[in-house]
Amino acid sequence: MKQIINFIVNGKSYELATDPHMLLVEVLRDEFGLTGTKCGCGIGHCGACTVLVDGLPTLSCLTPALTVKGKNITTVEGLAKGTTLHPIQKAFMACGAIQCGYCSPGMILSAKALLDKNPNPTRGEVKQALSGNLCRCTGYVKIIDAVLVAALTMRKGGK
Amino acid sequence: MTRLLKPFEYFEPRTVDEAVQVLSRYGNKAKVLAGGTDLLISMKKGKISPKYIVYIKDIPELDYIKYSQEVGLKIGVLATHSAIADSPIIKDKFELLATACGKVGTPQVRNMGTIGGNICQAGPSQDLPPALLVLDAKLKLVSLQGERMVSIDKFFIAPFKTALRETELLTEIRIPPLLPKSAGCYKWFTKTVAVDETLVGAAVLMSLDSTDGTCSDIKVGLCSVAPTPIRVRQAEEVLRGKKINNKLIERAAQVAAEETRPRSRANYRRRMTKVLVSAAINETWQKIR
Repeated sequence: MKQIINFIVNGKSYELATDPHMLLVEVLRDEFGLTGTKCGCGIGHCGACTVLVDGLPTLSCLTPALTVKGKNITTVEGLAKGTTLHPIQKAFMACGAIQCGYCSPGMILSAKALLDKNPNPTRGEVKQALSGNLCRCTGYVKIIDAVLVAALTMRKGGK
Repeated sequence: MTRLLKPFEYFEPRTVDEAVQVLSRYGNKAKVLAGGTDLLISMKKGKISPKYIVYIKDIPELDYIKYSQEVGLKIGVLATHSAIADSPIIKDKFELLATACGKVGTPQVRNMGTIGGNICQAGPSQDLPPALLVLDAKLKLVSLQGERMVSIDKFFIAPFKTALRETELLTEIRIPPLLPKSAGCYKWFTKTVAVDETLVGAAVLMSLDSTDGTCSDIKVGLCSVAPTPIRVRQAEEVLRGKKINNKLIERAAQVAAEETRPRSRANYRRRMTKVLVSAAINETWQKIR
């Protein structure tokens, strides 16, 4: 039986009627059209489905949508301001931290949660924060570089 | 690959009373959902298809970490691995528990998964049980009939099987205060897979006598080397009441390895048990000697 929940997606409040077995990743992609959130392995190993729930990196493939009632969800679509990309997104482009792009939304959101909490992380702390996000193309070096570049930009107040 | 869930009926109790009422009504047809990082994977893989899901994470009275010198530590069943790993009081007083929680899964899994879910899943390779075994944790289990306290060393019965009855809810984990001059640590080796599962995990808690420096108490807990997490009591006896030296530590580590009952890769796990137990005892001893 469908139930109604209220929650916030990328700063806007929504009311949604959904079945208990519907996952957050399905709702975001199919109901909201927010296809930036990817479903990779479907069992919580790869991190491609990572979204922020009240600021914390969370696996949307293992989250029934009803359980985010009243919560604040951020997907990768919520980072840019209009046509201006977020400094982390710009740094990923500048550093060439993207190949196929499938892991990027999850990587960028894990990086955002880290930098919101720790604006000046070490390389080790970046690795730790991204350890739940798998990339099969890049070998991670450029991704870690990009997060450190973004951290520097953001500390200087840059956009 | 989007693996989907089969439909189920969903309950969202707001209190422990409401939760145990649902559990007592539906018994083994109901499953408790908290962080979902184990349950939903089992459901997606088709290993289980519960008809009723009881989502407890919105019960406000079950998410806390409290400490007092007299009673010790009380952790609500919904405290996440991240909350425990980052808790200043746990890092200060029960560092090995913070270490074990920081080892679990990935950052996302630690943000979602709860201490209660980890304990009730009862996988032989899970990292929290060795730490909880040496810290002598007690579990509060609540049902319609009332509550009972079960010591963690009586809780794990077989792989993925516990003493929890299907009408009961684990609500709290209690850890007594440590003796003076105590320290501990948790060490592990992993397989190399996507989410690195522990191949051998060793927790040690040691107390020294403040007058003569002998080892007044020691507990050693292991995971992934037997059908359930275990204490290696004969190894503990090698050191208990003794003046510690390197030779005795090596002897205790050897006995610990002999006490294991690995189900696979037995030789390797035994040898690694010896290495890890020796390292963990040594590190703990250096902290308080």
